[in-house]
Amino acid sequence: MQKILPSALVWLVLFLAPAAALAEPLTGEQVLKQVDRNLEPGNLEMYRKIINIEPDGKRKEYVLWFLRKDKDKVVTLFISPASEAGRATLRLGDNMWLYIPNVGKPIRITSMQSVVGGVFNNADIMRLDYSEEYAVAGMGEADGQILLELKARSGAVAYDRLQMRVDKARLVPVRIDCFAATGMLIKTLHFSDIKDIGGGAVRPAVMETESPLYKGYKSVMVSANLKLRELPDEVFTLNYLPRVKDLR
Amino acid sequence: MPVWILVAVLVLGTAGTVGAETYDFAIAEAAPKPYEIGVRLEARYLHHRYDRDSAKYRLDALRGDPGAEAREWHGVVEPMFSYRRGMVKAALVTHHAYVDDGLQAGTSDDVYEGYVSLTPSPRFTLDLGKRSVLWGKGYAWNPAGFVNRPRDPDDATQNLEGRVVAGVDLIQSFAGGSLTNMGLTALVLPVIDDWANPEMGADGDVNWAVKLYLLWHDTDIDLIWFDGPSQPLSLGFDFSKNLAENIEVHGELGWRRDAVRTVVDARGQVRLERIDPLDWLLGMRYLNAWDTTFIVEYYHRGSGYRRDQLEDLFAFQAAAVERWRTTGEAASVSRARQVTEAYFSQRNPGRDYGYFKVFQKEPFDLLYVTSWIAMLANLQDGSFNVQPGLTWTPLTNLELNFRVAIPVGPAGTEFGEKPDAVRPEVWVRYYF
Repeated sequence: MQKILPSALVWLVLFLAPAAALAEPLTGEQVLKQVDRNLEPGNLEMYRKIINIEPDGKRKEYVLWFLRKDKDKVVTLFISPASEAGRATLRLGDNMWLYIPNVGKPIRITSMQSVVGGVFNNADIMRLDYSEEYAVAGMGEADGQILLELKARSGAVAYDRLQMRVDKARLVPVRIDCFAATGMLIKTLHFSDIKDIGGGAVRPAVMETESPLYKGYKSVMVSANLKLRELPDEVFTLNYLPRVKDLR
Repeated sequence: MPVWILVAVLVLGTAGTVGAETYDFAIAEAAPKPYEIGVRLEARYLHHRYDRDSAKYRLDALRGDPGAEAREWHGVVEPMFSYRRGMVKAALVTHHAYVDDGLQAGTSDDVYEGYVSLTPSPRFTLDLGKRSVLWGKGYAWNPAGFVNRPRDPDDATQNLEGRVVAGVDLIQSFAGGSLTNMGLTALVLPVIDDWANPEMGADGDVNWAVKLYLLWHDTDIDLIWFDGPSQPLSLGFDFSKNLAENIEVHGELGWRRDAVRTVVDARGQVRLERIDPLDWLLGMRYLNAWDTTFIVEYYHRGSGYRRDQLEDLFAFQAAAVERWRTTGEAASVSRARQVTEAYFSQRNPGRDYGYFKVFQKEPFDLLYVTSWIAMLANLQDGSFNVQPGLTWTPLTNLELNFRVAIPVGPAGTEFGEKPDAVRPEVWVRYYF
């Protein structure tokens, strides 16, 4: 009995320790990283439809092919409409470029500009991981959701501060309020239609945005046809941008 | 069907749409095709209201009185086709134009691009054929773009004719460190008869152009080298960097060795100078919170003409025209036209320029409208061209544009001597 007791205690500790670790609540940084993984699970390609809805109800639609590698490399290629087809954008960290086939040379663009008009800017369309651009400044709970207060890691990020509401069970964002350094609300992003959008990624397929700066306007981004895809780093370079459509 | 079933179907049918808009998740365009076909149509109308005292107008009047006003029509069809199979891609863009400038009308058919690319890996591409080449970071000018075609900065999406090249493109990325990636582009530009790069030298000449691109410390840097039997050795450098989420700065520098420049004095004596000009440009783009974009550039042309040299040229022209008027001697005007060709063939012949452009998206809540105003000034003689414009895209793939060019300046200055007093222009583009 004296021999059995210590070994039973060891087994008990070994059995309970992982459970205790599992029960420990996630930190804000862990939640944010999991949100990133759930939204974009690794190196991938997918299609995005951007719908700009004007105050009179008229719509303009753009279809983009989206490529992403690591935490800091994004390429988008305009597939339609015909007037935009062939345009491509590249993001490498804080650097962004736009290639217009007729112009023939990529030009540098900034995150606050918008290549499609509407409420989405370039930073929304070519977004990097939230945890790459923002640090968690605070975490709380509201209406049964996790509330993350995020602060930009550098001045090159489009929004100075984000307030992110996260679905507790699925760890995907439900709503994000984006603020300027002055405290002004720039826009609100709403996430909905959680479903498998391909490649086993179960996440919100629709992101809608509205902004007090664009009263009456709404922009929607629908994500679909996600596939995991490994591409060499050289695809995410300025020299390759005019040829990126050859990879589709 | 019983009424209660109908009511239930209607209620259930509407329940799903109340409060939430539904979107189509099927993206038909996601199925890639090995080929692409597209067409761009353009119709353009220009109205010239002439400044009948301007130097260029008076010289051109030798060929016949153009009158006080003229209308100009352009119609353009540009079909584009490309086909890809494995690592090989072939592309063709042709340009078919009809132009009626009031004095004469005619059509032209050109191949703008026609090439085959071989890309065995994203790190290596081989191109053969006619491709558009546009180097440099400047918006209004590209002093380091030695192989570029001239372009209109206020109509940036206009297609440009390519150059006939055999080219190789090498790319290498680096993980970590301040050098993120580099690219090397080497082009051979042969001159063959009048169909391959005829403006780059004599038949049989072979020109070379090399560009080394570096993304270093989040800054784009290009080092450019260009040389050929009939071309001055040219070295270029450019850079571009984002200073903040809404501010970009860029610059360019071009140096040419032993370039030839024509200088005409007030008596009409023509002198050919051999110079080593240094041209450079500095610029920035800024976007404010109201979606207004500002572009500012300063451009120095080492080979450009000083104010006194331009004044001499215009004085010589004026004297030639006066002689023709008083004596009827057409030969003097004919010679003036000949010797000033070197000036008028340059888009901006002066030495120091400033460019300023402001874009406003959807001004006064006008949907689908972008308004802009651009000003290009010769900083030495104080003359300038001011150009307000509008772009309206009422329907997908349809683009309507309007702009008015208004050159301003006294006699003897670059823009004061432009033939147009005012030139409104309207053009429509449709893509499918």
